[in-house]
Order: sequence, then structure tokens, then C-alpha cells
Amino acid sequence: MAIPILKQGDVLIASLQADPTDNDLIQLRDELAERIGRLRSIGVVIDVSALDVLDSFATRTLRGIAQTTRLRGADTVIVGVQPEVAFSMVQLGLTLDGIATALDLEEGCARLRQRVDDEASRGS
Amino acid sequence: MLDQQSLRSSQFSLDDADIERRKIIVDLAAEDISRITTLKGVIAQEGDRYTEDFFRYLRDLGEAPALFGRRDALAEAKRRKREHLTALTNGVYDQTYVDQRAALALLYSRYGLETRAFLGAFHHLLRALGGDIMKRFPDDPNGAFQRFMSVKKVAFFDIGIITDVLTSERERTISQQQEAIRELSTPVLQVRDGLLILPIIGMIDSLRAKQLTDSLLRAIRANRARMVVMDITGVAAVDSKVANHLIQTVAAARLMGSTVIITGLSADVAQALVALGVDLGKITTTADLQGGLEEAERLLGYRVVRSAEAPGQRLSA
Amino acid sequence: MAADATHVAIAHDSDIVEARRKGRELAQRIGFAGSELTIIATAISEIARNIVVYADRGEISLSEADNGGRRGIVVVARDEGPGIPDIERAMRDGYSTGNSLGLGLPGARRLMDDFEIMSTVGQGTIVTMRKWKR
Repeated sequence: MAIPILKQGDVLIASLQADPTDNDLIQLRDELAERIGRLRSIGVVIDVSALDVLDSFATRTLRGIAQTTRLRGADTVIVGVQPEVAFSMVQLGLTLDGIATALDLEEGCARLRQRVDDEASRGS
Repeated sequence: MLDQQSLRSSQFSLDDADIERRKIIVDLAAEDISRITTLKGVIAQEGDRYTEDFFRYLRDLGEAPALFGRRDALAEAKRRKREHLTALTNGVYDQTYVDQRAALALLYSRYGLETRAFLGAFHHLLRALGGDIMKRFPDDPNGAFQRFMSVKKVAFFDIGIITDVLTSERERTISQQQEAIRELSTPVLQVRDGLLILPIIGMIDSLRAKQLTDSLLRAIRANRARMVVMDITGVAAVDSKVANHLIQTVAAARLMGSTVIITGLSADVAQALVALGVDLGKITTTADLQGGLEEAERLLGYRVVRSAEAPGQRLSA
Repeated sequence: MAADATHVAIAHDSDIVEARRKGRELAQRIGFAGSELTIIATAISEIARNIVVYADRGEISLSEADNGGRRGIVVVARDEGPGIPDIERAMRDGYSTGNSLGLGLPGARRLMDDFEIMSTVGQGTIVTMRKWKR
């Protein structure tokens, strides 16, 4: 089951379906890395609101995606982490340090645009 | 209606070994039991009088008003007291006997009879019993005294059960109240669109920290809160353990995409945390609640402006 | 006392998903709710992945626990892999020889109430963990 990636303007949106396997996540990472370069996207929003578990592997893969994306010149925002999931991640000792998070898709996209604007104003 | 079922299902229960141990504690031996059984007639006959006397004594003192305000409860307590007086001289102090004492104690506990008042009334009852036993054997004061001392051993056996039940019921009530207070004491308030305040008051242990985090995370989702101001002015003691709980709460909120500002960190607490080596570096803190709210509003893009003509000013002009 | 156990064979990463889904279902039937369900599912995920990464194949058994009226869930992970030479070290945060974060076992222990691990080098590993209802 491949994870669909939508292109909306200059942002790529990946919405994870419930219970992705490790392979699905690795595929997503590779796919995103390839498309960011090809589509010249400013960033990636990954929606995890359908997930009821984010274990150490999933978290590590998300972190890997964020790092790869950054090397390709774009930003990553993780959106929609459920309260129960956030709670158990913290109990487990997992964080998403260094990765932007937002409440939902809309906010995630707004956040990416704001970052681009900030950089633009700093550059001028 | 009295809830018979719940009276029986008291938490209190003793096994046979416990009962034997308690008999040893009050020094209740076989010769006591044979002495006590000679009193069967004396005490059982007067059961009603002793019972009435016991409760009148309490009522005259103004103790346990709730018990005297409930006709059914009082009738049940009297029935159980009479049962007690009969059983007292039967010479059998087994599981059934203990369960009956515990059931009466549970009734006392439910209707607010304090241990000290129970002890006073019970002593009053024993005095009356002692007097009657002495009268019953006018020619053998020594034998009467021996008999009374044996009854007293059973009485102290009973007191042990009654006070244990009263104490354990009290502890149960207290822990239930604490649980209720815990749940009530973590309000999550929305001040404006996207901004929550979480004032934390009292002690933070790991259970409360979990509950607090749980309710905050739910509120973040329900209110789509991008910012949370967590005020810890009212937290009793902030040590490294509490600080770690708070750090976890902040981390969990951040995972959801919400930013937490901690306010109310006094200079002393801040210094103590630094000395303990707690890293609050990644957490935004401000000295007071107002500063925290202003910072949160700024981050949310709000600008608070005093209106030139507030309604109040217009009225006074 | 305990009901029959549910067994999930673990060999591929998709089995991890199956194990935690079954675990969540059972936990729900036992009466767990909210974040506890997520915590149990996450712990199962961690120990199931441990099997896939280190032992290739194994099994997860899920059953109900009853401890004098207190209900809970028991999760047992069994494999016939290489075993863990130094358990103490493996239970330390950040220790990992495989392709994971090193949070698996110590993380699962933090999530659950009871956690036992038995391992014999060359024979395999058994992890037993329980979570009790509040």
C-alpha cells in the first residue's frame, strides 16, 4: 500500500493511512526525496492524523524524511499527531526535535509559507 | 432505603489466623469464655435496655446527628447492637461474629459516628454491664469481677475491629476525595482563539502529571490551540522530578504542534533547577502570567490595543 | 482464569501491524481506553519489531491477565533468534546493535507495568510484559 503524495502549489502533502508498514514508510521517504527535487517544492507536510501508533521506527523514519528534505533545500512539517499518540511517544522517550509540527494540514501549509516569507524578507 | 448489599460488602475481612491473633492480643482464653457464658441470661435479657441506653447516651451528647436523623439507619443500628449483646455472651467469636461487628462499624462510619464518641458510649455500656454483673452475684464479688474482666476482653476485641473499620473507611474516603480534587484541579481554559491557559495548583506527582498531560492534549485538539500558557505559580514544590514531568508535558504538546510557555517560575525555583542541572533551555518561560499571555498573543499575531473611548469612560464623562 | 491466548506469527514488518492491531482489540475488550490503548499498541510494536530486526521470526501471544480481581493484558514475545548476550546493556536507553533507535526494549518497559526478559545466547529470547487496569 503506497502512501499517496499530493502536490498542492509548491507544497507536497503526504497523508499517511492507518497502520503503514515499515516498507510503506521507507518508500515514502525515497519518493519524497525524489519529487522535491523534480517539482522544486518548498516543503513537505506529512499528515499523521490517521495513525494510532507512532513507534520508534516510524518516528525515526519521519526524522529521516525531515533531514533528507532539508538537504534537498525544503522544509518538513508533521501535522495531526493525536493526543494519545503524543502522550505515549513522550512516555516512550520519543521526540520530533528539530522538526516543525502543526495541529493540522491547513496550519502546516501556512507554516511552510511563513517560513519562506521570513527567509525572503531576511534576504532582501 | 438502606443499602444492605453494600453494608455486607465491606472492604474489611479477617481470616481465622487474624481472629486468633486478635484473641491473643486481648488475652482472651478458654477460661474467659466459660466465665462469659454464665452471663448469657443476665445480658441477653436486658439487651433492649442496654441498646436504648447506648444510643440515648450518644444522642444526649449530640453526636452522630446524621444517624439520629435517619429512622431506618437508627433502627438498623439498634438491631445490630442487640445482635451484638446477644452474641457477646454466646462465647463464639468467629468469622460471623467479626462480620457482624464490621457491619455495625460500617454503619457508624456511614452516619458519621466518630471513634471518640463510639468509645465513650461503649464505655458507658460496659459500666452498666459491670454494675449489673456485680449485682447479680452479691455473695461472690470476686467471681463477679472475674466475669466482668472476661467480658471486657471481648469488648476490647470488638473495639479493635470497630476502630479498624472506622479508620479504613476514613482512609478510603480521603483517597476518594483526593482523586476527585485531582480531577477538578486541572482546569484548561481557553482565553482566546487558539490560546489555552493551564493553571497548575498544588502537588505534582507522576499520576497527576499524566492526568494533566492527558487533559491538556485533549484540550489542544478540541480547541485547535496553537499556544498554551502553563502557569506554575501555585505548584507547591518544583524539584527535578516535577520539572521533568513538566518538560514531558511540554514535549507532548509540541508533538501535536502546540507551543507551551511556562509562567510563574520564581527566581528561587529557577536557581534551584539550574543547580539541579535541569535543562529548561528548550522551553519558553516568563516570570509572570501576564508576560506569558502577552508573549503568546504576540506569537499568535494578536496585538492588544487600548480603545480610545472605552464604554466606562464614556459613561463617566 | 485467563482466556485463550491469541497468537500472531512475526516474520515481516506487516506482522508488526497485525500484532499491535490484535493487541489493541484485546485491550479494548478487557476495558482499557484512550491513551492506554495507544501505549499498549506502541509497546507491542516495539517488541514485535525487535523480533523482526534481531531474530527474523518469532511469535507474539496476547491474553488477558487476572491478578486477584485486577484485570490486565499479558503480552509475550518469543523468538528463537541469537539471544541477547548482555541484557542489562540491552535494557539501557540508546543501546542498539540493529537498525533501530535503541529504544525498543527499554521503551516498552517504560510503557508497561511489568516487564520480564529471559534470553539464552544461541537459543532465543522471551519477553513478557503486562499492563494492569487502573
